[in-house]
Amino acid sequence: MDLTPNDEQIAFQTATTDWCREHMALEAARDRPDGLWDQLEAMGLPRLTAPEANGGLALDHATEALVFAELGRFLAPIGLLSSAVANRWFAEPFDGKVALALTVEEPGPLRVLDPVDSAAVLLLQPGSVRVFDIPDRFLNQMTRQQHVTAHRPTIDLSTMQSEQGWATTAVWTEDDVRPPLHLQLLAAAYAVGCADAARDMAADYARLREQFDRPIGWFQALKHMCSDMAVRAAAARSQLYYAACALDENAADAAFHVAAAKRLADQGALDNGRANIQVHGGIGMTDEAAAHLPLKRAHLLQFIAPAAREALLA
Amino acid sequence: MDIGFSPEETHFREECRDWLHAHVPAEKRPLDAADAIGFDKAWQRRLFDAGWAGINWPTDYGGRGLSIVQQVIWLEEYAAAHAPWIGANFVGVNHGGPTLILNASEEQKAYHLPRILKGEAIWCQGFSEPGAGSDLAGIKTRGRIEGDELVINGSKIWTSFAHVADWQELVLRTEEGSLRHKGLSWAICDMHAPGITVRPIRKMSGQTEFAEVFYDDVRIPLTNVVGGLGNGWKVAMSTLSFERGTGFIADQVKQSHEIEELIAAARANGMIKDDRIAGHLAQLRAEVAAVRAMTYRNISEVVRTGQPGPEASVIRLFTSELGQRLERMAVLLMGEAIIDFAYGDDDAVGDYLRGFAATIAGGTAQIQRDIIGERLLGLPKSR
Ligand SMILES: Cc1cc2nc3c(=O)[nH]c(=O)nc-3n(C[C@H](O)[C@H](O)[C@H](O)COP(=O)(O)OP(=O)(O)OC[C@H]3O[C@@H](n4cnc5c(N)ncnc54)[C@H](O)[C@@H]3O)c2cc1C
Repeated sequence: MDLTPNDEQIAFQTATTDWCREHMALEAARDRPDGLWDQLEAMGLPRLTAPEANGGLALDHATEALVFAELGRFLAPIGLLSSAVANRWFAEPFDGKVALALTVEEPGPLRVLDPVDSAAVLLLQPGSVRVFDIPDRFLNQMTRQQHVTAHRPTIDLSTMQSEQGWATTAVWTEDDVRPPLHLQLLAAAYAVGCADAARDMAADYARLREQFDRPIGWFQALKHMCSDMAVRAAAARSQLYYAACALDENAADAAFHVAAAKRLADQGALDNGRANIQVHGGIGMTDEAAAHLPLKRAHLLQFIAPAAREALLA
Repeated sequence: MDIGFSPEETHFREECRDWLHAHVPAEKRPLDAADAIGFDKAWQRRLFDAGWAGINWPTDYGGRGLSIVQQVIWLEEYAAAHAPWIGANFVGVNHGGPTLILNASEEQKAYHLPRILKGEAIWCQGFSEPGAGSDLAGIKTRGRIEGDELVINGSKIWTSFAHVADWQELVLRTEEGSLRHKGLSWAICDMHAPGITVRPIRKMSGQTEFAEVFYDDVRIPLTNVVGGLGNGWKVAMSTLSFERGTGFIADQVKQSHEIEELIAAARANGMIKDDRIAGHLAQLRAEVAAVRAMTYRNISEVVRTGQPGPEASVIRLFTSELGQRLERMAVLLMGEAIIDFAYGDDDAVGDYLRGFAATIAGGTAQIQRDIIGERLLGLPKSR
């Protein structure tokens, strides 16, 4: 047993953080540079666990979870989650970004996250994941209306969405519990990163901002609020590591552990997101400052492969 | 102790209800301050003309001179009728006016109070500065006395409605070299005076409702000082007690309607079958009931002793956090639809995002807890 990253993993993690800081700053989350996806592809980030035959790095989920937690800290594109899962579990590699659809009952329509420049979309279903094309237009099966798949903003200022019909032509995984768990694990990693981002932003501000002639972090009310953020983030991160290893081992209780990681990470991201705003006071409520960005991302993440109560009680 | 109202009060309640039923505007109040200003002014004028503005303000200045209990009855009916938030009139009506009534000269009262009640003059509050938020005594904006004028330099921030306001409650340092609570004055600043620049600031909910205000040799008459030069801290504390106290009764009353709407929504979409949600709603309903009880208790205290008592800060803290719990429940009940929120939307998500202000504006929850600990419980002062 060793739940600490090894040297290679640490190096990978650090390199990711450094790269993100320079090319994908959280503060600029709503205005990502053109060509960002190509850079993410070039670094192999959507193929960390994909088989080598598909151009992947064939790494384990533990390493991937570490790296995705860093990516999550910078509010990296949601499409990385679905692309990583698609590239890992299907024999044919996917060309370019695979967007992520939130689970809905047939016959849709589907809510597609991060559809910009993606040709395919991945959908989580009970026991499997399914990938199909993104059409330019579709027929809403319920209203019988034709729709153009136009892009709209989401509450998370870094993520666009679109709507599309339920497609019948698709590929999907069968008889394997791991693909859906993989998506849940990566979404949990993003949420852990999001909780971290809020914690660090709050702690940085609490060290810097002075009132009553001292840094506000001097006051226990604030210090303890920041400490609670650290506790939530640490609990979620530890469980994330455990869950990643359980998935790597294909352990019998992997489903429980991944669900637990997602639940704690979602809660941590939301609670830390809210606390971060309170720590910032007036400036935390502004559009200009970045404090609202992790909170809004957290509200989106909680709908991506949410942890079902049944999975936690099973 | 009793929870009944007198026949006159009940009659008054019916009057309020009837008028509101017939006059509450059908259209929604616009959200952005610049769009809402016309709406807010017209509505305030309407209230004034019908005798509903300044219910417990003195009759000499355009008020009705009625009791604070009647004021509460009005606010209860106001919320029940889904009447619009008073918006840009908040500062003038809820704390600027009351501060003047308590501290201002005859001339100041005679000039400003009727204008506030009629919705002719919009007020804003210039207390917070970039370096002085929770630590209000850290104010640096200064007013140099030159003859019979104050010459103002400095800046304020988070000033709600500054870009649409006519007057400002301005707390500034009028004694050079003075420290902390000393040497401050509370003055009425003309927001149209030369030298004032207003930079609106956008909120994370998308509205530009507050602003940064810069003063560059702004001149106002010395007679605009309220409560005497150098007495600014005392006057400002009275402003805050109105802002934190009676100013929020309307919000508190609104919560009793919000919880019923939430319960109805949870029944309608079936989420009430989730035990966790049902349990939460049940708890919230009990808490909302307690808010009314706390408000009545507090008002009774005012009627009996003429002062709200230190419990006012307890109500303020409790209701601000309860309001946030209600807003969180509202977005929880929306489910995935929260994802669709975009700037400009006027829905439960906007309320939730704007609602973060409840534990920041007018003194943060942490500062409120300090006040409760120190003034109510006699715990040692930490600052
Ligand atoms: C929507 C909105 C509207 C506003 N409108 C107005 C207005 O019209 N006019 C006006 O003058 N101001 C207004 N304000 C400003 C408001 O009063 C200040 O934001 C508030 O007092 C906090 O100050 P600050 O923002 O500088 O935060 P800070 O004082 O820097 O606080 C940052 C954090 O530190 C904490 N903190 C500070 N001191 C202590 C302590 N001693 N112990 C424990 N914790 C502490 C705070 O609780 C907070 O969590 C508004 C604010 C908002 C959000």
